[in-house]
Amino acid sequence: MTRIPRWPAVGLALALGACSDIAPPVRNDLYEWRLIVPNATSTALDSLSFQWPHDRLPVRIWAEDAAGLPGYVAGGIAAWRPAFLYDEFDATLVGDSAAADVIVRASSPPGPALSRVRLHAVAPECDGATDLDISDDHTQLRLPVRVYVNPGFTPDAAALDRCMALTTTHELGHALGIFRHSPETTDLMYSDPTVEAPTERDLGTAEILYHVKPNLVPVNGER
Amino acid sequence: MHKTALLLAVLLPAGASALAAQTEYYARLGAVGASDLLRDFIVQEITVRQSVAPMLALGGSLPIGSAGYRAGLEATLASGGFHSKEGGAETDLGTLRTATAMLDVEGPILREFRWRLGLGGIKYWPSDDEGIFLEGGPLRFLAGAGLDYRHPVLQKWDLLAGLRYDFHRFTTDQLDRRGFGQTQGVSRVSLSVGLSRSAR
Repeated sequence: MTRIPRWPAVGLALALGACSDIAPPVRNDLYEWRLIVPNATSTALDSLSFQWPHDRLPVRIWAEDAAGLPGYVAGGIAAWRPAFLYDEFDATLVGDSAAADVIVRASSPPGPALSRVRLHAVAPECDGATDLDISDDHTQLRLPVRVYVNPGFTPDAAALDRCMALTTTHELGHALGIFRHSPETTDLMYSDPTVEAPTERDLGTAEILYHVKPNLVPVNGER
Repeated sequence: MHKTALLLAVLLPAGASALAAQTEYYARLGAVGASDLLRDFIVQEITVRQSVAPMLALGGSLPIGSAGYRAGLEATLASGGFHSKEGGAETDLGTLRTATAMLDVEGPILREFRWRLGLGGIKYWPSDDEGIFLEGGPLRFLAGAGLDYRHPVLQKWDLLAGLRYDFHRFTTDQLDRRGFGQTQGVSRVSLSVGLSRSAR
């Protein structure tokens, strides 16, 4: 029997290995992030997609110094960071609310008349909301984005801490551009979230939305 | 016992002194360029690449046998920018430093030219732990080859020009975490000039 020489095969395998590229993940596990609203002038629907432009990064977030909010916001920024491999989004805490793109308060949101679009998150120990002021023609997002994280009255300090942390991270998910809730109960962006950090599906959705052309641009509004 | 100690006391410094006399040291300055660190696809293709970066190389070698072969250690340090490119738009991703250490052997080709082959490692140090380096820079296995040109300029000093090629497989913990499979083959080429303290 003829013995087949192994070295050429080994060499070929090494050469092919040297030429192969890294294999990107299949990014199809995501949910609808666009805000779908009736068009102002017709019966059609508008799908509104928003991302912070690169020249506005890092997004400046002011957090009210109450209920430990600055710490929860810092944790929320860090929790979303793994979504962005190519510097698509970044945020930082600032001390001056007048210069902020996003304002986070430890209170209930004002009456519904003051907000155009409100996204809620509800948990037993606390609740949150994000108000988006979108122009009538559906082309502009007026800044600042206003986020409310309201601590409830509970004797369980650990449960309150957990709720504040996950609700703040959830609301920051809206502020960075996820304008819908996930249909999956196990995602952080579910309307009544229970997990403490963004899931791979949450991160994947945030990542994709920063690679799709947006149709809302941020503009400075009333403060 | 005393005789053995005395013999060692005489021979060791003599051996070290002979070794030091045969050791060559060198330093070179130059530039290094690399192929893509990463090719990704999100809606459209995204590539990440290091810019051509200034590089410092330091090394030393000892003779092996009498046929002109030498074994040595070479370390390099390079620092430059890196960027992503998506749909023709470039995004600056910050500063990326790389350090390499390679054990190598070298031998004569003809006249003032010598070949070099080596194995070692490459360490990535990003200026910020963000993006693909969110969980830090990797340490990867490295293999390389090169060509040296030496020209005596002083009694003990040679002008040294080095052309190097090296190859490694790149990935990071963050890429693994985000579901990337396999690794990216990265080729680097450097050109540098410097001085070598010759063992003549």
